[in-house]
Amino acid sequence: MMDRQGRGLAETVWTRLDRKAGAITELTIRQLRHRLSTWVVLAVGFLLLIALLALFIGGIRDGWEPIDNDGDAHDWDGDGYPAGQEFKYGSDPFDRFSFPGSGEFVEEGSFEWGSVGLYSGNHTWRSATGMFTYTWLDDSQIGGGGVLEVDSLEPCPDGELFEDFWLDWGEGCRMDVNRIVVHDASFVGNGTFRVEEGYAAWGYMEDSFDVEPEPASNYIDEDDIDWTGDPNKINGFDDDGDCLRIGWPEETPPDFVWWSWEPNHDSDRNGNGVDCDVEWIADSNGNIVAIIPDDNVDEDPSEENLAYEDAHRAFIIGTGKIAFVMILGIFLPLFLALGLVRDETENGTLHYLLSKPIHRGEFITYRILGYLVVAGGFVLIMSLMMGLVTASLGPGDSIFRLKDVIVWLGIAFATILALAAYGAIFNTLGLLSSRYGVYIALVIGVYEFVMAVLTLGGAELIPVLSVSHWTLQLIDSIVLIVWPNTIEMHIIASAFDLPSGITAFWNPPAHTLGTESPFISGLISVIVLLLITSLMIIFGQSQFKRREIM
Amino acid sequence: MSTKATPAVLLEKCSKWYGQVIGINDVSLAIDGGVTGILGPNGAGKSTLFKLLMGRLKPSSGNVRLFGVDPWVSTSPYRRVGYVAETEKLYDWMTGHDFVSTLARLHGMTREEASDRASHVLDFVGLSDVQNKEIGKYSKGMRQRVKIAHALVHDPDLIILDEPLHGCDPIARTSIMSVIRDLGSQGKTVLVSSHILDEIERITEQIVILHNGRLLALGNLHAIRDLLDKHPHRILIRTENPRKLAESFVPEDPVYGVRFAEDGALEVLTNDLSAAHEVLPRVIVDSGLKITSIENPDDNLEALLGYLVGDAS
Repeated sequence: MMDRQGRGLAETVWTRLDRKAGAITELTIRQLRHRLSTWVVLAVGFLLLIALLALFIGGIRDGWEPIDNDGDAHDWDGDGYPAGQEFKYGSDPFDRFSFPGSGEFVEEGSFEWGSVGLYSGNHTWRSATGMFTYTWLDDSQIGGGGVLEVDSLEPCPDGELFEDFWLDWGEGCRMDVNRIVVHDASFVGNGTFRVEEGYAAWGYMEDSFDVEPEPASNYIDEDDIDWTGDPNKINGFDDDGDCLRIGWPEETPPDFVWWSWEPNHDSDRNGNGVDCDVEWIADSNGNIVAIIPDDNVDEDPSEENLAYEDAHRAFIIGTGKIAFVMILGIFLPLFLALGLVRDETENGTLHYLLSKPIHRGEFITYRILGYLVVAGGFVLIMSLMMGLVTASLGPGDSIFRLKDVIVWLGIAFATILALAAYGAIFNTLGLLSSRYGVYIALVIGVYEFVMAVLTLGGAELIPVLSVSHWTLQLIDSIVLIVWPNTIEMHIIASAFDLPSGITAFWNPPAHTLGTESPFISGLISVIVLLLITSLMIIFGQSQFKRREIM
Repeated sequence: MSTKATPAVLLEKCSKWYGQVIGINDVSLAIDGGVTGILGPNGAGKSTLFKLLMGRLKPSSGNVRLFGVDPWVSTSPYRRVGYVAETEKLYDWMTGHDFVSTLARLHGMTREEASDRASHVLDFVGLSDVQNKEIGKYSKGMRQRVKIAHALVHDPDLIILDEPLHGCDPIARTSIMSVIRDLGSQGKTVLVSSHILDEIERITEQIVILHNGRLLALGNLHAIRDLLDKHPHRILIRTENPRKLAESFVPEDPVYGVRFAEDGALEVLTNDLSAAHEVLPRVIVDSGLKITSIENPDDNLEALLGYLVGDAS
């Protein structure tokens, strides 16, 4: 088909449209390129990402210290034995007089409560409150509950204990070169103890034997996650024996984990009839939905296998969500989109453009397109830069983690959709009110940021009325599509109380219409974002069409 | 091409108010072919008229048609219209050629077509040697001409120029005037606005006079001028000896009186300005006096308006 001038029909309709679109888009890009504010905001964004990359690389160079997840590698009372070793021997990990092989305290005598008296000798003194004049005082050990820190005794103030000054429980002070005052403290020494309305017991340690202290490293990463991959098999194994407790003394002190006291040890906490195992519960599709371990099973897994990968993914997801969506996604449109049409109107240069056969509605669309090329191009390049670094330096056997780059491209895609939506919203605001548009845009920016924070926190309902919610949801979906085991890592981290960045930055996609499919939630998010963008562009167009231009 | 049935520009009882302020008031007008000067003092409604024609404003009442189409509703007539707006802002970072060819692409031209056309029109307005310089480095006259070039790039049938001579130096003024006259002689319809009678007079004879938003006069400038000439006029002459010069003027036929202004200038009073100007050179030469200035204080738009408004009332 040819028209009157002999051009093909395709030529007259499509290529003409394309030429107009190309011209306005190109003009917009060149205008943005000639504005200082564009370069400033892009440079700030670039520096932010470089700073994050520096942190990332710094973290890798520092290496990954294995983490003592259950706290049993630490020598809490300073007696030279890690807590895990003390548990095995039934000694108190918080008492320096109680350690593997320390034996029992045998009391030889004590003062009566509230009496006045003197007693001399070379003894272990317990719960002593009063004055000790000595010829020898054991300063070889420090710390622990109620144990006197002989090395760091301060001079006593003038006056009487409890009348003129006060000492804390287990503390003491120095009265003279060979005389100290103590309050309910334990120590070893040769001398005379004097009580005045106080108390002290004396005696010796019995049945002591030598136990070589184990290195703390024996109690770090000592109980890894044992997962067969089949929820129907018996999973979990008590590698370090602190659940089964075979050969342990009857009176074992309360189980200690670094976050809590656990007074009653239960070797079948999950109640499945198997001692010291871990129950992995899967749904009908075989996806792990919950993990319930017995006490002290798989509680100190190797960071190499879990936390390293977890932290790496958390860096990518966290940077993608906070730096890309919440910072670049909101600030780039604020600086670049607000004046797309407004500035042309205020400058009067709009007259040149609108005296051409181009609809005002088309004009708005092409302006936003031009802005998207600049802002979106920047985001795409930045995401590739981040992707190249994390893919090359991340954990794992492969030299280049290709999936990292795919996730970064997904983050760029989600951010570009957000840029389109915010661009359309802010441009329309600039059109509606050239004076107050910027303030309304700032309010919207803050609102979107708050909604994003709520979404990060796991809120599913309130933030649905925001662009940021759907953008973050899209990232969650893309992450799950590319790394399907993220959800498992999420559950493992919660079940074994592991420090996890994934639980902080990633939530399973919420809006799946009951299918639990990340593809559905991703698709819904894309549709919602495109819908918001289109509606705002159409609204802007209808406003602009009716606008009289002076 | 426009036909008799659909003139290039048509206004029917068209009014535009900005709140209480009148932009134009009940104007009916049809223009097709040739150069038409839109004459009126600042605030007379010239720009409002053009903005109505270019679909920037919606008439408060009445109709506006550009080639038979309502420009507020459709942009299609702009294919045949070139508009030089009053605005002085340009994209200063662009070169003249860039500016014109970018805007040409909005007419659906390819990059190559646009570039060729831009070079052509920039040559036509006399900017070919500076077309690759940034507009920010252009003189005022060059800026006006680059604006004209963008309006001509698609070879329009109707060209609308809002104060194209405003702020230009005499050389730029002359060159722009010749561009406008050329366009007229190419058979295009040209509307050019100005608040200076003398400028319009050097471009065209066909004028529309607007005053306070109303259409005051429409037609041939010379006919209107002739009417004006027959009314009392003053010629202000500054010389070393006004009394001696006054004596020489008194016997002349077109002169009906002489007066001395407060600053000592000689005022020659006449009822026929053109006839008076015919005798003026001879009288001065004969007197042998040194003349510092000759002014026609009544030969301007204000006087013309005063005359027209006075007649109307």
